[in-house]
Amino acid sequence: MAVFGLLAMAEEPILIGFQGPLTGPWAVEGDWALKSVQIVVDLINQRGGVLGRPLKLVVEDDSGTPRGGVMAAQRLVTAGVKFVVGTYGSSICMPSSDIYEEAGVLVISYGCTAVNLTARGLKYYFRTSGRDDSQARFFAEYVVPLFGAKRIAIMHDNTTYAKGVAEETLKYLKPAIDAGDVEIVYYDAIVPGERDYTPALTALRDADPDIWYYTGYYPEWALLLRQGKDMGLDWKVVRAVGSNACPISETVRIAGVDAVVGAMITQEPLPAFIKDKYPKAKEFVEAYEAKYGEIHDSPWATYAADAVYTIAFAIEKVGKVDPKAVADLLHSGQVIGEGITGELAFTPEGDRIGVPYSLLICNEKGETELFNPEIHGKLVGLEE
Amino acid sequence: MVTFVQQFLNGLTIGSFYAFIALGYSLVYAIMKLINFAHGDLFALGSYVAYSFLVWASAALTAALGLWGALAVAMVVAGVSVAIAGLLMERVAYRPIYPAGRLPAVVSALGVSIFIENFIMLVWGPRYQAYRSEFVPVGYFQIGELRISILQVVILISAVILLGFLYWLIEKTTFGAAVRATAQDRATAALMGIDFRKVIRFVFTVGPALGAIAGVMVGLYYRQISFSMGWIYGLKAFVATILGGIGNIPGAMVGGILLGLLEAMFAGYVSAAWKDVIVFAVLMLILIFRPTGLLGEKVAEKV
Amino acid sequence: MRGIIAGLRNDPRARRIAVGIALALVVAYPFFASAYWVDVAFYLGLYTLLGLSLNVILGEVGLFNLGHAAFWAFGAYTTAILNTRFDIPILALIPISALATAGFAWLVTSPIIHLRGDYLCIVTIALGEIVRLALNNDPGGITGGPNGIFGIDRPRIGGLVINTPTEFYFLVWIIVVLCAWALLRLQNSRIGRAWNYIREDELAAECMGVDVRAFKLLAFTLGAALAGVAGNLYAAKMMVVSPESFTFMESCLVFMIVLLGGMGSVPGTLLGALVVSLFPELFRPLASYRMLIFGIALVAVMYFKPAGMWPRRRATFRSVIGREAGKA
Repeated sequence: MAVFGLLAMAEEPILIGFQGPLTGPWAVEGDWALKSVQIVVDLINQRGGVLGRPLKLVVEDDSGTPRGGVMAAQRLVTAGVKFVVGTYGSSICMPSSDIYEEAGVLVISYGCTAVNLTARGLKYYFRTSGRDDSQARFFAEYVVPLFGAKRIAIMHDNTTYAKGVAEETLKYLKPAIDAGDVEIVYYDAIVPGERDYTPALTALRDADPDIWYYTGYYPEWALLLRQGKDMGLDWKVVRAVGSNACPISETVRIAGVDAVVGAMITQEPLPAFIKDKYPKAKEFVEAYEAKYGEIHDSPWATYAADAVYTIAFAIEKVGKVDPKAVADLLHSGQVIGEGITGELAFTPEGDRIGVPYSLLICNEKGETELFNPEIHGKLVGLEE
Repeated sequence: MVTFVQQFLNGLTIGSFYAFIALGYSLVYAIMKLINFAHGDLFALGSYVAYSFLVWASAALTAALGLWGALAVAMVVAGVSVAIAGLLMERVAYRPIYPAGRLPAVVSALGVSIFIENFIMLVWGPRYQAYRSEFVPVGYFQIGELRISILQVVILISAVILLGFLYWLIEKTTFGAAVRATAQDRATAALMGIDFRKVIRFVFTVGPALGAIAGVMVGLYYRQISFSMGWIYGLKAFVATILGGIGNIPGAMVGGILLGLLEAMFAGYVSAAWKDVIVFAVLMLILIFRPTGLLGEKVAEKV
Repeated sequence: MRGIIAGLRNDPRARRIAVGIALALVVAYPFFASAYWVDVAFYLGLYTLLGLSLNVILGEVGLFNLGHAAFWAFGAYTTAILNTRFDIPILALIPISALATAGFAWLVTSPIIHLRGDYLCIVTIALGEIVRLALNNDPGGITGGPNGIFGIDRPRIGGLVINTPTEFYFLVWIIVVLCAWALLRLQNSRIGRAWNYIREDELAAECMGVDVRAFKLLAFTLGAALAGVAGNLYAAKMMVVSPESFTFMESCLVFMIVLLGGMGSVPGTLLGALVVSLFPELFRPLASYRMLIFGIALVAVMYFKPAGMWPRRRATFRSVIGREAGKA
């Protein structure tokens, strides 16, 4: 009897909370993230868990809204969870992290890139993903010169995230604007959740841009591409570039291949493209495909998986299940371990160190590929 | 000038959707003085039913009847299924509760609305669905800089035909007179030998069926459908009903078209972000100064 | 159940004992419930407060208001803006939010107060949507757009910071009990009787010299003020306010609370709030099916109890005569 009791205690699971949009407009991201997290939890448990204890997921849906986020966070806190992987969407991360901070719960977000999230002096908030300023910089300093674009259109949707990327882009374009090399011909916001964007697209067309950067989320981008195509816009002339919140597979599913061919996105690394680079990435992709079929094309879900690795490695290093000790370790800047997306290390503010960006394009078959001017040049009007 | 015509056409198209849904609202309200909040969700249901039907049967039907034929069949299927749903709804949720008063009936309607919305979410999933490219007609007419899609033309023509037919039915036929009489004074109409049950059946099949057809068209036009799209369209359609005058059936059609035009014009010329605010504000102003709506309510109030 | 309610109606001593027991339960609850369920009870209190505020407008006067979330939002945002920009403490903002919301209500309902029935309904829906959309569009940069305003403080009393579920629970329920008491007294006053008269027969009331317009405005203003208080508490609890908390669906939920409980009935409103907020919680294990069942439950309650679960009954001559006869 006593032995049984001892065994049971050693087996007591470590609770890992998961917060994500399982319903609502970004349900697909939440679903992918949850699946990815589940895979990593399984992989870790197969190897004996953390400090000999298995990991156990406690899942809460925040429906992709600030209020949902607060309620999900509160539920996780009252459930006694000490470590949380969550969430997606900067405007949801913002209030949720306040709740976690107050309760002393460590939270690592996977899909929140607004710069100001780590400027609040929070001790328990970290992120495995990159930041808007890095993405904006990539667009301004790599993508724009790549196409020799002179007339630039920037469109956002007034959310924390999209507006943030748009403003950062302006910031990084400023030197070129001042030098007279480029000009912003369109800078406006659409209302997310609507159906009809023809008025905004008409205005965009009238502005005659070389390149159009939409910094919002994929449901709207899909509609914009569809309606833009129907209106006669051509992505060889007006290069359509979406943000890293626009997975091409989902966009194609909603808008249809013909509307998305030739459209590009600025994106952090996808699991399919890094699986040969990191052993954990290969393992992750194989395990995911074995359980769920084809691997997704979302960096956020991958970052969610890496958040679990971060927590697991950190607890092992610290030797106890204590959020404060783990937070101190993460703040120190040491490399905690190597995850799916490479080395896991954080700045004192909680940002991830070392996030690369790439330009991805939708090819004629609706697949996502790394942009290569030689192969894809004709899709975007880059003749040799 | 081109932009104006383009926006005008967009407005007419959106307005047609509203008109279809508004008609259903107006019919039910005229007969039962009940605001059927579940009506918008029936519209969404129609859209989803057609979507599933097309996914299942589109290939075979297109081969047999061509794309337009397949779409026509889908609309019939959606219309019939939703009409059945409408009849069921009336029998189960309204008829037993209606004698108890109007406010309980409104709560009941809200309950049905929640039920249908979540039913759709359970059956089809919380993710947005999209009408696949295979079943959406492409192609357009280009007149100078103006670009009109064939789909838009078909929607507008169908709207004219269907709404025109309904107008004729209600204003010019004997059965239509029965409907109007019931709307005006149910007791006297019953005394005159009008079968109330028949009128109810008509109202709860035609209204939802029209909503379903609008649902299919919205699915084809915008591609993206979600389980929550019912309530925003329902709300706007209700606004259109009031705009034209509650209980006024031609008024609902006018109200719908007008609302669509207002929306498109405001979105194009003033601000896309504020268009809904302006539309609702205009509505409030109209009601303050002309409370019975544009075409006026036909029911006098007894003291 | 009917026997209990009848008993409570007729015997003041029984009523006092019942109220005493209820209050004792309310005070004791957090000590034997888990943090999660205390949190749920907070939201129950909040929705009861909202229900009471709408009850004044819809229940007492019979004004068909389906845009109540607008007042709730106004109070919440007033608190949020004044707290985050000017560091005004939350508790001090309770009366300020109430007054501001009351003022707002007075301003917007004055031009529409003469509308009847369904027209008033549609105008209140429009109002609710206008407020929500305007908040979403971030006019003048003060409302924060779709993300809303975050970083709202917690309420403080001296050194005590109210941030645990239990503390919030007591805060909201103290306010609810005070409001319920005040509203019950109001029911038996001249104002309450005038309100009910307008609900039963507006034309007759006017003929009898009741200033219908003034009383209607009073109802809207008072209801809005209470909704403003609810907004303040909501803002302090969530630490963020955003437009998607104040949708038409929310207005519908509060509307349902009043109707499920019984129009003009204070205990009924509590029952209504119980159904609306407890239902999703109790049925959480059923996950997606729970809202389906909720929809069915609404229809069912209206079928079996169209006058509400605890309808309001006014004293009638018969009961007075009965008592007199009993004495003799």
